[in-house]
Amino acid sequence: MTDPDRDRICVDRMNAGDARGLEELYDRHNDLLYSLILRIVGRVAETEEVLQETWLQAWSKAATYDASRGAVGAWLVTLARSRAIDRVRSLGSRRRAATAAAANPPPRSEDASVGAVQNQLQERVATALASLAPPQREVLELAYFQGLSQSEIAARLATPLGTVKSWTRQGLLRLRQLVPEEEWT
Amino acid sequence: MIPHRDEHLDLCAGFVLDVLDASDRAALEAHLAEGCPTCQAEIERLSAGVWLMAAGAPRHRAPAAMKSRVMAAVQATQAEARTPLRSRPAAEERAPIPRPKRRVNPLAWALAAGLLVASAILVWRAVDDLSARLTATRSQVALLREQLEEERRWISLLEAPQARVVQLAPTPDGSPTLVARLIYDPATRRAVAVCEHFSPPTGKDYQLWAISAAGPTSLGLLRADASGRAIVRLRDAGDPKTLAAFAVSLEREGGSPSSHAPAGPVVMVGKLGG
Repeated sequence: MTDPDRDRICVDRMNAGDARGLEELYDRHNDLLYSLILRIVGRVAETEEVLQETWLQAWSKAATYDASRGAVGAWLVTLARSRAIDRVRSLGSRRRAATAAAANPPPRSEDASVGAVQNQLQERVATALASLAPPQREVLELAYFQGLSQSEIAARLATPLGTVKSWTRQGLLRLRQLVPEEEWT
Repeated sequence: MIPHRDEHLDLCAGFVLDVLDASDRAALEAHLAEGCPTCQAEIERLSAGVWLMAAGAPRHRAPAAMKSRVMAAVQATQAEARTPLRSRPAAEERAPIPRPKRRVNPLAWALAAGLLVASAILVWRAVDDLSARLTATRSQVALLREQLEEERRWISLLEAPQARVVQLAPTPDGSPTLVARLIYDPATRRAVAVCEHFSPPTGKDYQLWAISAAGPTSLGLLRADASGRAIVRLRDAGDPKTLAAFAVSLEREGGSPSSHAPAGPVVMVGKLGG
């Protein structure tokens, strides 16, 4: 049985009220979620809060997971990203500006370097991202880590909206091409 | 039909990242709703790219203590979900959901505790109030549902293929202007009587009768509105095996003293056809 299969069984168990399903998912995915949230919100204390909210949401919304729309890991990542972006948006404008400044390049604060670990996939993706044309990379990062809408990105980069749309697609496809599928897990 | 265009493929990227502007999102969703295999395949391809964006975030290990906090929080919600609404303790008695520790000064704690108690009392009262309102609303809903069901039964009577229509005709004792019709469903024994020009003389009432082999049985008074029109619903107009006819008599106000014999003259009669 593969990890994605085990993940789906975990969600079934959560739906049946069995918290061990959640525990198993936690063991497999928590570090990725933690890293993603930290990348978005930039501070450990808030990251922990958002992470806890994410798991509670996964627990209470397990019934909404739709296997036809992707793997459990991708669903968890979507929950975490959306909560983290909401958290950043709900912060004051001063903090928002600071986070925006820190987001590119990724946060190098003392907070964010605590507990850093090596991960092969992460390194592959980071290398692939670095090889993208800078505007393509920037568009992806503003979209994914800051959740800016495409017209906000166009305004931020003083670039036509149509260009932002096509860079976004090209960037994602290039990333997928640069990191072979067998390395995705 | 919105035909597929290359622009849709670009929109798919913003869609999987959830960063489309509202108008673009609406346009793509309308297109997807029509089932575009090209865009569906593109969304799947691009979703892998989104997953990689997450996987590309610099990796950190979450503090080990987080796991027990998360699991405790989950168990707290589990316990809460199992407790029926009525018997739930006030918020201050519940196990707190663990949160990451932060330094907070004692005054803030005292304030927070005060606020918590106050809000717990408010919440408890609100829950109590809501619970009572919920019960009332539930009975109201049940009542309305029953009424709706009843209306459906009456409507189905009018549409029932087996229903019979009995046209009543005035007798020599009745005014020739009287008009009355009965729709009778032998399957449910229900009937609806529709009467016109039924304004009785002062101090009098019209009374409806079911006539069977055993004799007449009162089906009640036919009291009309100001325009002389009366529509009366009868839950049990009689047994189809023995029912032969319907009749209307003119009685003194309040109807005949006997429910098995008209006291006044019979003013209308209609036989139940086959």
